[in-house]
Amino acid sequence: MSLLSVNHLNVVFRQRHQDLQALFDVSFSVSRGERLAIVGESGAGKSILGYSLVNLLSKPGVIDSGSVKFDGRELTTLTARQWQEIRGKKIAMIFQDPMITLNPVLSVGDQMVEAIRSHTRINYNDAKKLAIEKLAHVRISSPAQRFEQYPHELSGGMRQRVIIAIVLLLRPEIIIADEPTTALDVTIQAGILQLLKQVCEDNGVALILITHDFGVVSRIAERTIVMYAGRIVEQGPTLEIINDPQHPYTQGLLNALPQMALPGQRLNQIQGNMPALNNHPSGCAFHPRCPYATDKCRENTPGFVFSGVSTVACFAIEDMLAEFDPEGGWQGEVEDE
Amino acid sequence: MSNPLIDIRGLEKAYRTRSEWRLPSWFRRLLRRKSDTANHDRIYALNGVSLSIEQGETLCVVGETGCGKSTLARVLMGLEKPSSGELYFSGSRIDQLTDQARMPFRKKMQMVFQNPYASLNPRMTIYQILNEAIGLHHPDFSRQQTDDYIEELLVSVGLSVDAEDRYPHEFSGGQRQRISIARALSVEPELIVADEPLSALDVSVQAQVLNLMMDKQQALGLTYIFITHDLAVVEHFATRVAVMYLGRICEVASRESLFSAPKHPYTKALLSSIPRLDDLSVEPIHLTGEVPTPLEKPMGCTFCGRCPLANQRCYEQIPVMQLQQDGSAVACHAVEEGRPWK
Repeated sequence: MSLLSVNHLNVVFRQRHQDLQALFDVSFSVSRGERLAIVGESGAGKSILGYSLVNLLSKPGVIDSGSVKFDGRELTTLTARQWQEIRGKKIAMIFQDPMITLNPVLSVGDQMVEAIRSHTRINYNDAKKLAIEKLAHVRISSPAQRFEQYPHELSGGMRQRVIIAIVLLLRPEIIIADEPTTALDVTIQAGILQLLKQVCEDNGVALILITHDFGVVSRIAERTIVMYAGRIVEQGPTLEIINDPQHPYTQGLLNALPQMALPGQRLNQIQGNMPALNNHPSGCAFHPRCPYATDKCRENTPGFVFSGVSTVACFAIEDMLAEFDPEGGWQGEVEDE
Repeated sequence: MSNPLIDIRGLEKAYRTRSEWRLPSWFRRLLRRKSDTANHDRIYALNGVSLSIEQGETLCVVGETGCGKSTLARVLMGLEKPSSGELYFSGSRIDQLTDQARMPFRKKMQMVFQNPYASLNPRMTIYQILNEAIGLHHPDFSRQQTDDYIEELLVSVGLSVDAEDRYPHEFSGGQRQRISIARALSVEPELIVADEPLSALDVSVQAQVLNLMMDKQQALGLTYIFITHDLAVVEHFATRVAVMYLGRICEVASRESLFSAPKHPYTKALLSSIPRLDDLSVEPIHLTGEVPTPLEKPMGCTFCGRCPLANQRCYEQIPVMQLQQDGSAVACHAVEEGRPWK
């Protein structure tokens, strides 16, 4: 059974005149110890998804319908008090900017001890011992001295390590990391990604990594979900998606990367922009930018089909599959790309 | 021999930090007890940078946060005065000119800034933004000429003509960056200095802006100095690359030789840490430690604390740029001595 399963989740921002829908019918699951990446550009709804999993949506945003089940327990109906047993202890979150996440007026050690003692009955000295152990575990040099220091005395990479240590203190079963390395330099990013992967493997923790960077995804995740305008458009094993993207948006996103064009040549751009929430296109949200769009795409929303590589929501793929007869091979014409 | 377009010789820039005497005495005592760096009153952002840029090339300056790459751009543009060193544009020295005397050179070099949300005045329409630059550098234009010219500029960067009466907030990030590029192009410059112009944009929009910049370079024969931390963009866009570390240039090479055969240990580590899609087997070289503070002028090589090849000489003597066989220049004792990479 999967550890976390999300079914038909709809998130809406309630406005005075209209409701703006941010997530449409999102369903996926994460099994124990699995590393999943959620990829998309800004405005795709990937962070909103992350926040709604831990009930941190801020005010006008509400879960309109759908369910989030953790270990068989429904999360969307929990009270604030019940959430305190789950958030941090079972499902932990790492945010993008480590300076904003840490409290600047408390020393690193105080914040760590506070985190342990608010969830478990343990005396200060034992908590301190545990905290220093975890600091060493995330490869921070001289952990006993770092325990006394304040966040401003640490560099960005070091702060993100401290946050990973805090998250690990309570032995969560899932870590949700929202762009954990975006604020860091590449040489530091490589170290943090390797650390995240390793601590998840060591402790059997599942990881949901939210990012915009396919390079980061390829290093860490086993399975990938691609989001566009509040919907999942493609999900499947990471390597398959990177090597053989099915959805036109995933293809466009990967093709737009500078590595995919010859040096000095024009990049393959996707025309247009991600639609705004109040201007959501009818049918498939990607159709205004899609090179394969037909009238069917403009009117209906595609469902998921399994393409043989990944699960895709796209009529072009669906039609192609419909022409495929497992007995007699291809019925339609084979098109070259 | 013709002069290079830009010639930078031994450029240094130090910033004064807030002097101690302004603080009350009890606070000063506290500071001194707390850390020993309180006595330093200067931050060395650039420590002797020398570079030359030829007409028509694209030089990418790469490096991590705090290495001085943005300071280099600002000093070059005359937004900051250098502490020492010389700066030449097509053979004439420009770093000591008065603002008035520098005006003709400002027309020839323009800048595109990182954040398109901050670099356009929110209270001016696009017409006013473009007209400000045109009015300064083409005072002879009639109203009709200006109107035509602005329309032409907007179309040339892929915006519609009716954009000119709108305000910056009505545009997306990619469109704003197009407006910044139009503003830079409006005075017909020879050189464009772009300081991280893509980092605030999404991947699919990045491709659009990068394509626009390449089209403009081909059409107008521009020279670019492109400052970035994104090595994938560099590999695609640059003709020559300068790698900076803590206020110094550690390697300058053509794109081909930098990416196929990086020489400086820092360049090697930097290249190995880009997450790549085409080759998943590359293991990143993990650098120990963090970038040191620029508060102290370092004795030896700035990279020695994190370098896997460092020895005593690296801590004592500043390495100088040396030309390699393939035309790249590297400042490293280890490369000079041919120390083996472990």
